[in-house]
Amino acid sequence: MTQAEENNMLPLGLDIGTSRIVLAHRDGDGVECRSELNAFTTIPYTKLTEGVLNKESVPHTVQGQEIVVYGNEAARFADLAHKETRRPMVNGMVNPSEPGGLALIRNIIQHLAGADSGAGRKMCFSVPAPVPGGEDNVKYHESALRDVLRSMGYEVMSINEGLAVVYSELEDTNYTGIGVSFGGGMCNVALAYLSVPVTSFSVPRAGDFIDASAAAATGESANRIRMLKEQSFKFDGNSPDRIQQAMSVYYDDMNRNLLQAMEQAFADARMLPKLHRPVPLVLSGGSAMPEGFRERFEQALRASDFPIELSEIRMAPDPLNSTAKGALVAALADM
Amino acid sequence: MRLEHARKPGSRRLVFSVADIQAAPRAAWAVLCPRLLTSGAISGFICSHLLEWQAGRVEDPSARLKFLRTMTQSPGARRLSASGTWRRRAGALVLIALVAAVAGSSHSGLSGANKSVQQPAPVAHRFPAQSPVPAASVWLVERTSDFELYSNGLRIERDSLTTSRPRLARALRRLPGGRFESLERPDPAGIVFHSSESEMAPFEASHAEAVKRQGAGLLSYVRNGHLYSFVIDRFGRVHRILEDSEKADHAGHSIWADSNWVYIDLNETFLGVSFEAGGENEMSRGGTLNTAQLHAGRVLTEMLRSRYRIPAENCVTHAQVSVNPSNFRIGYHTDWANNFPFEELGLGNNYEQPLPSISLFGFEYDDAYLASAGAPLRESLPRSKEEARQAAVRSGLSPTGYRTVLRGRYLQMRKALRIPTFPQQG
Repeated sequence: MTQAEENNMLPLGLDIGTSRIVLAHRDGDGVECRSELNAFTTIPYTKLTEGVLNKESVPHTVQGQEIVVYGNEAARFADLAHKETRRPMVNGMVNPSEPGGLALIRNIIQHLAGADSGAGRKMCFSVPAPVPGGEDNVKYHESALRDVLRSMGYEVMSINEGLAVVYSELEDTNYTGIGVSFGGGMCNVALAYLSVPVTSFSVPRAGDFIDASAAAATGESANRIRMLKEQSFKFDGNSPDRIQQAMSVYYDDMNRNLLQAMEQAFADARMLPKLHRPVPLVLSGGSAMPEGFRERFEQALRASDFPIELSEIRMAPDPLNSTAKGALVAALADM
Repeated sequence: MRLEHARKPGSRRLVFSVADIQAAPRAAWAVLCPRLLTSGAISGFICSHLLEWQAGRVEDPSARLKFLRTMTQSPGARRLSASGTWRRRAGALVLIALVAAVAGSSHSGLSGANKSVQQPAPVAHRFPAQSPVPAASVWLVERTSDFELYSNGLRIERDSLTTSRPRLARALRRLPGGRFESLERPDPAGIVFHSSESEMAPFEASHAEAVKRQGAGLLSYVRNGHLYSFVIDRFGRVHRILEDSEKADHAGHSIWADSNWVYIDLNETFLGVSFEAGGENEMSRGGTLNTAQLHAGRVLTEMLRSRYRIPAENCVTHAQVSVNPSNFRIGYHTDWANNFPFEELGLGNNYEQPLPSISLFGFEYDDAYLASAGAPLRESLPRSKEEARQAAVRSGLSPTGYRTVLRGRYLQMRKALRIPTFPQQG
């Protein structure tokens, strides 16, 4: 078997997020990640347009009289057309308003992994923890994605998103600590003790909430807010820019909401294991990337009545890919 | 922000010593465990610390995760929730498995313990339990410019003493989480035994002058090249060539490891002791060390082990440590690949130790090495290779891919130790 063939049989980790889909695979001693925007937009079909897209290797499919462009290029085309991208997922789960959403997720994964990469290969994909009262939605979401991946030939398992962050970032504490993933649709939290998930939950207020709220407050499109957030937003109390100010306000709101949920979840878990030492808390996810976020979050946490003693609050070194890496670790550990 | 642990009302605090645990037959755990579990504090404390200790010895993150998941999950504890049920069930399973592992290790060494506990993957290298330093301490009685005299009868001649440069004395300490840290280790960590592989006149009265001449020539050659720390000539005299703090060019590219440290290029961390003896052909013709050399080797080893608290497992032969990084083969030098008298020097049969060059760093051996190795060393090679193969399977990599990863790690560790690139010596 050639080295390339051996590499093609290695397990994969997959983070299927509201905003992005990230694929992680082992590359020698390290991990390589590829990601695509989990979004699409439609443009009118013409043979010329299709030819240009093929020539430029823009991922797309043809559906009747429309061309559906998906992945990273979707944002660019949507911006050109002054419209919002459409999302196969919302609030961390399959979007019921987009009937073709699952098929598009499949296309994006195929684009990332390669058309023939299934064939019995092991894959671990991330799922959100349920919002209180939303357990059935998560079950459907997980089941639907499992079917999609199986149909592509993969041997699949799933992992909670917050737990994936623990597996990715907390090997030095033997996978004991708290992992928080600030995604697009949801913030996912998991407390693990020696790799065992003790408690996990999610809150539906995350990056999309900030984009939509700041957009409503400033009259901009959510897509544009998202692009500004990813490119230039940082926590700067003195910024005169109204968009920056609006985003700061809604970021603080997201943090407060999350910390409240964490206080409640950890305080309710009366029989948490005895933690003989303070545990680390790791932040990850695209919505945690703005400069100054870690300090802002820590400030909010210190002001709260957090029930668990923390040794440190730190950012994952690669926040966008942390969940996918943790899923890969889980897949490898399951071999 | 502190989590308070609440003991269940009415629970009793049970105290067991480690000796109790090790002595208890396994069947007794069926009776003991329920009582331990209700104590809460004991099972949780022991379980978590034992488990973390075991997990910390697994280097690969995925393998460590697999080990932890295996140890903490069971059919009864699959539906994990934030409840006391988790702690009691997981605690029972972990405590039974880990204590069984500890009890097993008292008989068969650490490698036995690893076998009785589900093998964490990758094991990378099974370190035997370190033997205690000899109880009798050896102390310096007298030191002059000509000799050193020690309390165990060892006399070291100093008339061949020369100087080189201080040993860099850096090694890689194993940290929790499978990481390594480059640290200084000023004291020698071990001894590499060599053969001078020199011309050997018959050891008879009629050839005394030739024997003396050859010995003097050897000392001059060794002194000029800073080749060893000590030489034991055919009359059983121990000659100091370099102070213990100075580097001898005896081991060249070499690898060894114990349970806490990894050593690369042992010139910087191990002392070199050479016996004036023939090469492989001499050995294969039945040539061995004479009684005087064996006695000298024994008392010298005893003194060095006592002074620097060197474990027996770090007293090894050149054949066990020598490697060739240009082709990732072991055995660039093969002196003492066979017939080294470990037991006569007060050591265990260190040929049985797995070779970290194979299991930790992906080196391989060839037919030439197999041909020069004696039966005990030859028998340990497939075990080292099998360890590496099993680790590869558990990592989800092919043996070739896993070896590539290990070799990359070797090169990184050389860099971390700031080892300069010298031509092959020693």
